[in-house]
Amino acid sequence: MEKSRKSVSRREFFRKFGKQVGGAGVSAFLVQVAHPSLAASSSTKKYGMVIDTNRCIGCHGCTIACISENNVPDGYYRSWVKIMEKGSYPDVSTHFLPRLCNNCEDAPCLNLCPTGATYRTKQDGVVHVDRQICVGCRICVVACPYGSRFLNPITHTADKCDFCYHRITLGLQPACVDACTGKARIFGDLNDPASDVSRYLENHSTQRLRADLDTRPKVHYVNADEYIMGPDYSRLLAGRSS
Amino acid sequence: MNENIQYIYFIQHGVALGYLIAWYLWLISLAEGTHIVAHLSWLYYRTEDYRPLEKVGTFQPFIILALVPLFLVVDLGHPERFYTMFYNWNWTSPVAYGVYIISLCMISYAIHSYYLFRPELIHRARQKGPLQGLYQLAVFNQVESGDIREIRKRQERRERFWAGVSLLFSFLGLIYLGILLSSFKGRVMWHSSVMVFIFFSFGACSGSAFLILLTQLKNSLAHTPPKALAEQQRYLSEFGIILKYSLVAQAGVFFVYFVLLQYTGIGGKLASQVFFTGPRAFQFWFFQVAIGLILPFVLVLYKKMRENVVVSCIAAVAAMAGTLFGCVNIFIGGQMLPMTNFRWEHLQPEPAKMTFGIITMVLMFVVFLITYKILPYENIEVREGASS
Repeated sequence: MEKSRKSVSRREFFRKFGKQVGGAGVSAFLVQVAHPSLAASSSTKKYGMVIDTNRCIGCHGCTIACISENNVPDGYYRSWVKIMEKGSYPDVSTHFLPRLCNNCEDAPCLNLCPTGATYRTKQDGVVHVDRQICVGCRICVVACPYGSRFLNPITHTADKCDFCYHRITLGLQPACVDACTGKARIFGDLNDPASDVSRYLENHSTQRLRADLDTRPKVHYVNADEYIMGPDYSRLLAGRSS
Repeated sequence: MNENIQYIYFIQHGVALGYLIAWYLWLISLAEGTHIVAHLSWLYYRTEDYRPLEKVGTFQPFIILALVPLFLVVDLGHPERFYTMFYNWNWTSPVAYGVYIISLCMISYAIHSYYLFRPELIHRARQKGPLQGLYQLAVFNQVESGDIREIRKRQERRERFWAGVSLLFSFLGLIYLGILLSSFKGRVMWHSSVMVFIFFSFGACSGSAFLILLTQLKNSLAHTPPKALAEQQRYLSEFGIILKYSLVAQAGVFFVYFVLLQYTGIGGKLASQVFFTGPRAFQFWFFQVAIGLILPFVLVLYKKMRENVVVSCIAAVAAMAGTLFGCVNIFIGGQMLPMTNFRWEHLQPEPAKMTFGIITMVLMFVVFLITYKILPYENIEVREGASS
């Protein structure tokens, strides 16, 4: 008889189950809204960059400026230039692809960081690493599809480009933009239609790296060669690695 | 692609997460798999004779899970901040869940083991001897009355409850490992729906193999009554059958995985090439397929071979080695695929970390041996008052 008193009717079961599922759904929604990675769309500014590869001369000035501005350890790079030659003499062309963190709108590094040390500033959408929280697990280094992150051997935390946040918050340009000889890098607020970067984007056809991953990078390229933009898997498939 | 392409300047990124984390993943799948096989077998047999094997399949995974976080901690840039992962929590990261799942799994194994050993521990705590104090401490000085059978009956509900909880966390642990790797959407080798099933197959293979190996080790080190020994050999032979079908399942899962990779574009084709002809080819064909799949399958194919102690132990070691290399191949191989350039990424040798990993594994083995000498794995069928 005691068993029958404890038993739960089907209707009651579904009612309780529904309440719990509903509660969990509402909680998940609230957490999602509050989460910085997904609140990026509500930010007032959206810093981004356009790199016109037609203007890049491959001088590596941006790489040097970045290293000196951010004290990047020897052998590591927050910003670098990939260089490729294509064709046979006399039809040869040289291609440059300046690289840096894309500060993606849906950043895999941010989503996979276990401690939340990687975060996005709500007011401008820049992705940062909090060195006081980062445990140095390198999950973000592996997660970044662009190879833009590394474990800083001095701080033992993840490191990456943050558009020289200490400069842009003072109204300056990132160090790489200032150092660019050919004025290939245009930086600014993508949400501001009057900014240089927005106007450049409006007047040029642009590409983004690994668009298939839907990470929505905020670094856009003008006239980049398709072969330099991603990893060259066909070469490895053919068994040639050099 | 154009044949005449020369890369003048690029950055090589290397393999960021090395062998320690690959071992970490394997040891977790081993512990979870061992407990799942041990406990599901209990649900199948439900006999008192099976209890010693369930003890092995619960307490040894606990030892592994208690020591395995060391692999993760040593690999961190800031090992001293490890504990902050419990409260600096990012809900979109599988690792954040994993820290809790593995911790809770370890706790549930500990409690389940406690209830499994408790009747025999109480019995030993009543008997005078050099370790009486230790056994009394192990049961928190609550030496209940009644014989072992009665104590078992009294605690049966609690014991089965914790068995269920630990089984749930074991499944969650394997699901976590699969989801962890498949959540890296830039890594074509890991970002696969089959990853969870790969870890399930690893768990089933290494779990049944480990259980065979540990029980044989227990029987050689601890005194086992001849009747119980004969009964346990029957169970071990049946674990051999589980191992056989787990190996078939693992081969099937890998076949599906490679078929899916073929339909994942050029990246997927290259990912399968990492195994077939690429940098992990030798480890794949020799250790994972020949040693880890074919050899143990042949060794446990026939009943007479399964019943042979030496043959079953060789099959178990081979199957475990196969899953270890499978785990390492997927984990390291997945990072060898370049993200931005045209060369395989290289893994820098880490001798200090490797030494630490080997020492920790030896430590685990030593702890296993010590527990076999101290803890009462075998059933003690003695009536109150007739024990001494």
